[in-house]
Amino acid sequence: MTADDTGLRELRASVREFLEAKSPEEAVRKLMESEPRFDPAVWAQAADQLRLPGLVIPEEYGGDGFGLVELGVVLEEMGRALLCAPFFATVVLAAQALLASGDREACARHLPGIAAGGTTAALAVTEDSGSWDPALISARAVPDGDGGWKLTGRKSFVIDGTTADLVLVVARTVAGPSLFAVEREASGLAAEPMETLDATRAMARLTFDAVPATLVGSDGAGGRTMAKVLDVASVALAAEQSGGARRCLEMSTEHALTRHQFGRPIGAFQAVKHKCADMLVQVELAEAASLEAARLADEGSAEFPVAAAVAHACCSRAYMFAAMENIQVHGGIGFTWEHPAHLYFRRAKSSQLLFGGPAVYNERLLDRLGI
Amino acid sequence: MADDMQDFAAEARAFLDAHAPKAPDRTAPVWGEGDDSMAYFSSLPPEAERQHVQRARDWQRVRHENGFGWITGPTEYGGRGLTPVHDLVYDAVESEYDVADTGVLSVIGLGMIGPTILAHAQPPIKERWLPAMYRGDAVACQLFSEPGAGSDLASVATKAVREGDSWVLNGQKVWTSVAQHSQIGLALTRTNPDAPKHRGITAFLVPMDVPGVEVRPLRQMTGGADFNEVFLTDVRIPDDHRLGEVDGGWTVALTTLMNERATVGSEGAGPVAAALSPDHLSALMRATWTWDDRALRARLAELLTDALATEYLNSRALRGLRAGGTPGPERSVSKLMYGQNLTRAAHFVSDVLGPRIIADTGQWGTYAWSELLLATPALRILGGTEEIMKNILAERVLGLPKEVRS
Repeated sequence: MTADDTGLRELRASVREFLEAKSPEEAVRKLMESEPRFDPAVWAQAADQLRLPGLVIPEEYGGDGFGLVELGVVLEEMGRALLCAPFFATVVLAAQALLASGDREACARHLPGIAAGGTTAALAVTEDSGSWDPALISARAVPDGDGGWKLTGRKSFVIDGTTADLVLVVARTVAGPSLFAVEREASGLAAEPMETLDATRAMARLTFDAVPATLVGSDGAGGRTMAKVLDVASVALAAEQSGGARRCLEMSTEHALTRHQFGRPIGAFQAVKHKCADMLVQVELAEAASLEAARLADEGSAEFPVAAAVAHACCSRAYMFAAMENIQVHGGIGFTWEHPAHLYFRRAKSSQLLFGGPAVYNERLLDRLGI
Repeated sequence: MADDMQDFAAEARAFLDAHAPKAPDRTAPVWGEGDDSMAYFSSLPPEAERQHVQRARDWQRVRHENGFGWITGPTEYGGRGLTPVHDLVYDAVESEYDVADTGVLSVIGLGMIGPTILAHAQPPIKERWLPAMYRGDAVACQLFSEPGAGSDLASVATKAVREGDSWVLNGQKVWTSVAQHSQIGLALTRTNPDAPKHRGITAFLVPMDVPGVEVRPLRQMTGGADFNEVFLTDVRIPDDHRLGEVDGGWTVALTTLMNERATVGSEGAGPVAAALSPDHLSALMRATWTWDDRALRARLAELLTDALATEYLNSRALRGLRAGGTPGPERSVSKLMYGQNLTRAAHFVSDVLGPRIIADTGQWGTYAWSELLLATPALRILGGTEEIMKNILAERVLGLPKEVRS
């Protein structure tokens, strides 16, 4: 299903209105210091009123079957508001991993619960290196003799890993990296929260000690699944980043208009004006790159993998730039704990490095361009 | 795309099929084969330059005779009466064909001055010059810039004094592209030195062959001479060559400048495409044995990220226009990025080539890049400096206060 421009505007307006009411700065600040780091009541409302968890889940699994363009609109708004919610882990990472696995049975078992907002989920790929390279996966799974599997190892940087009802884990079997489903209550699973640079996105370290697990998709197909998820997830993240970057630009512009120094608004000084213009350039590029990648994905275009790599690199840089310059435009005010600028700075840096960072995404782009 | 647009594209394709060969793919070169020129500005000797202009005029005439010479123009002056979207559709189709480069006519004359004449000139001037311009008979230049007025265009000092039914112009213009090929020039002059500077300006159409107009080529840092100085000495112009009101020339200038922003930075072929083409840059790195240099690879990735993101920005803007939207800030952003992307590409390639760009070894595709390298400083200046473009973005898009201006 695809929304037209009017539909996208309406979607944006309703999500923005919801987030202004449910995720103002005070709420974000309160949640980032609580456990869990989201408000279950708000999450339930997002599901019941806006049907957000089911937005991009196919209709056959109880969702509304929209594409990445619609998902991008929602994530831009969530990025602006720094919403603390299990949306990214559940809808973007875990649900996309289920879909990418091609395992219809696993999809039918888990996706309706996710779409309805009842189930939250996480995707555990990275280990202590933080790398998404399938070759670096050391967690192992062995058959338990009864058609199930036992999983052993450790995962780090697992977003919403302490709260997710369902954990999808990439572990190595004899056939290679493979995807497994683990229930929250499974015996031998321990989760501890990690201290994070960006407190608005909870991360956990999970340890698996012979944890019962179910294979999702084919044995050994985990590498391919990860690659597909990474493309979708980096485009989704790009939208979240461009929303955050746009918000930083707005904060700077507002401040440059109202803050007076030497008898003039600081925005009248060319040095400040050009800083804001540079931010605008970055934000415009970021929005275009993220939207174009989403559009190519929804069209099933062969150009999507290149566009996904561009969106990831472009939006990562744009957000980091906007978050840094935002503090600079605000001067000393921007360096205080009370000012929200640091929350965006933290989110920007941690998002930039979430899937490996510039060294990794630069090479991914060159690889896709055949260089 | 709507049905009528598809019909129009098909009509354009039929015309082009009958009159031009398909374009070769410049972005995927076979190393060492073909033309390795990277000239952004012309560096042709005068005779070759004259032939280049002639080819442009010939192709413009063919376009005009087949209904594609002035797609958005009114039919009474030989236009087609269609929309800017038809124009974009035609450009997209034509880019697949190998046709003469008509930039000498279109960038300034047809792109900026034609619309200005249409909006502000008196009827005899419109009838005399508009069909001639769009038929390729008349090249036009913009006599705006002066030695003392860069981006502060309202500071023009060239004087026009009324004498009966005529005006007498005296002064000097500079940075005038294509003046050496032009039949007409649109001049901004000062007619009222006592009024605030924006309100004492009058615009005139100057036939370039009248007595007192002298065009001198201005050699630029690339070595070529694309620009000119134009000296106006007691140039007598009839009053019907005036555009707009007396002292109302600033409005006329704004029409031209608005069209300038829509024109600059939209080039997509030639050395520009090659400089930003992943295939071309990859081939260069292989030929120079630098393809596995990690530092260079990281820079290449950053460069291509920007180049591709700029492309996405342009295609988003184009889709918006086709859907009937109004232009956003994309043009200014795109113009800024265009200059920066090419500048970074030229310096990236220079660092890949090393000494091979400081002296010519005779190897194909190496020293040739110096032509682009030396052109890049201009890309951050022409059509409004980067600083002016940033002011425009900050003031008109973000709503920040204007600089203090006298």
